[in-house]
Amino acid sequence: MDAYHHMLVHLPVALWSTGVLIVVLRTFSAGPLAVAADRVLAPLLWLGALGGLLALVSGLFVWGLEATIHSPLGRNQLLVATWTFAFWVVLAALRQGAGPVLWEGGGRWLMLVLAVLGGFLVATTGTLGGHLTGSSTAFSRFLEALGWQVYTTFYLPGWMIVIVAVVGLLLAGMGRGAARAREVGR
Amino acid sequence: MATTRAAIAKVVFLAALTAAWLFHGSGVVRNEPERRIHIPEELTMPLQVKAAYDGERIFFRYRWPAERPHLYHDLLRYEDGGWRRVGQSTVGPQEQGIYEDRVSMMVDDGRVPDFDRYGGFVTIGRQMRFFTDQADREAVSEHPYLGETKGKHDVRKFLPATRRNPADWATVVPPDKLAALRETGYFLDLWHWRAHRSNPIGESDDQFIAEYRYGDAGQGPYSTNWDKEAEQPEWMFDPEEVGFRALDWNAIAERRLGFDDIYYLREGTAVPFDPEYDWQEGDTIPRRLLRAPEGSRGDVSVAGEARWRDGYWNVTLVRQLDTGHPLDDKAFEHGGVYWAAMAVHRNATGSRWHYVSLPVTVGLGHSAAIETVRFSDGSPAWRQPWHELTLFYPGQLNWPLINSDRHAGAEQVAEGVPVRARHTPGQLAHYAVEMEFNRAILRNWLWTLIAGVLLIAGFGVALVRTLRQRET
Repeated sequence: MDAYHHMLVHLPVALWSTGVLIVVLRTFSAGPLAVAADRVLAPLLWLGALGGLLALVSGLFVWGLEATIHSPLGRNQLLVATWTFAFWVVLAALRQGAGPVLWEGGGRWLMLVLAVLGGFLVATTGTLGGHLTGSSTAFSRFLEALGWQVYTTFYLPGWMIVIVAVVGLLLAGMGRGAARAREVGR
Repeated sequence: MATTRAAIAKVVFLAALTAAWLFHGSGVVRNEPERRIHIPEELTMPLQVKAAYDGERIFFRYRWPAERPHLYHDLLRYEDGGWRRVGQSTVGPQEQGIYEDRVSMMVDDGRVPDFDRYGGFVTIGRQMRFFTDQADREAVSEHPYLGETKGKHDVRKFLPATRRNPADWATVVPPDKLAALRETGYFLDLWHWRAHRSNPIGESDDQFIAEYRYGDAGQGPYSTNWDKEAEQPEWMFDPEEVGFRALDWNAIAERRLGFDDIYYLREGTAVPFDPEYDWQEGDTIPRRLLRAPEGSRGDVSVAGEARWRDGYWNVTLVRQLDTGHPLDDKAFEHGGVYWAAMAVHRNATGSRWHYVSLPVTVGLGHSAAIETVRFSDGSPAWRQPWHELTLFYPGQLNWPLINSDRHAGAEQVAEGVPVRARHTPGQLAHYAVEMEFNRAILRNWLWTLIAGVLLIAGFGVALVRTLRQRET
């Protein structure tokens, strides 16, 4: 299965990386090329998400779940890959839901920050995969300089897990509140 | 309003991510003596090694950093009318600093499969002494071979083929098969230098690992100074030789006794214990009596003086190339390549709280990681550079785990891929620590994954709903 996984990961990596480039281009340009590229951004990111899902599922079969969840590196790969997939799904939904208005005013900077963060997650997932296959890059040294030794499992203490989950629920609540306000406004 | 909501969502999301980044990896790994877990502050340490040989002898020279030397081992202290043992092996460092420093080296000549690729890992089974799931003393004592025949009470290093099932210490193969394995060279030679139990008399212990970690045949460099029936020492210092019968506990506690002082008890300065003497609170007698080793067990000696100076131990050991004890020792010869794995105990730790190396090659007139320099007159000149090793804390990693479904590299191990090809000492140390807390880390990791997805999803809902409103 590892050969298929290696083949499949090219899909999300290529599509999401292209997505980052489009966001950068559109952030700094309102020219015809940037606008045209932006028009394909949402479908591109959804295709990337589909590829990401395939890569994620195929990755579970490279070593088997038992081995993966008992390896710090395997755990990290699974965690970051899942977050990366979820994050890019959010970006695809955001671009599709909000439309071109995203690029007005401060919105473009929001997209830029999110795209850079998404690129960071893709790079991290990729470098963890490299370590797992025995061909690592120096990117993990950058992560270590930031405070994470990738050969140690990325996990949070219990209280921090609660905070993160509560913040997630609050953010969802904020979105629902905004939707309700929109309904009332109509 | 929508822009403000989106900005708030972004700030809250990034703040949560930043906090998660700052606090990750905390809250689980801690010392848990009740589970026999103590994590050393430093997970790796350096060890420098050189080797030299002439026509008859081989020398190994070791140098490693240590904040201070630990020369004292277990002691008998007089208090409340009786003698109490102080300084036995504990979980992590002995709290009073009373546990000797050590350097040890396993050696093989290629007749122990896998040692050349995985080193000491092949000697570690489950339920070993001081593991969290340590085997019951009673179970070992009642074992027909280890307990009843050999008089052992715990599980120590053993080689996989000495068990029908290497994952089960109790499945020892029949004695005739053990003997056959030994005769074919299926054992590891173990040089074992100790700062208290051998160094003061210029000796090292000589042991081997087969179905257990044994001393070689003959007399070891120490005996236990304890009369079980009388519950008192068997020996005390000879006042005519050294001027006192016992050490002063305060001198021990304050580490006032150094290399040039008498802090050890040895034949020649010891006389039978006198129970009639008016012993005082704090009188202290070493629980070990040092003596000249004999036979195969006395093959390894200290060359010169092994001393700690300026933050480093310098220890040189010497042995005959061929000791003439083929059932206990691995013979070296010119042109040969051997495999060795070193270990260091420091900071008053014993048992499994040591730092170990991956296997290295030792060549005599042959290319190897440690190239042994040949000399012809007197003693080695030691002009060659040190071979630098990184030792690591091995935790409770064991051979059954390495070969199980829980190890992603088990297939590579079966194919013979050396550990060095895939892991560095630092990585192995991190892995060792994590496996000591595997259940808790696995739980927190899973919840972290779920909470992270929840955070990302919540952020997505906030943004999409907020900005969709803006669009309308």
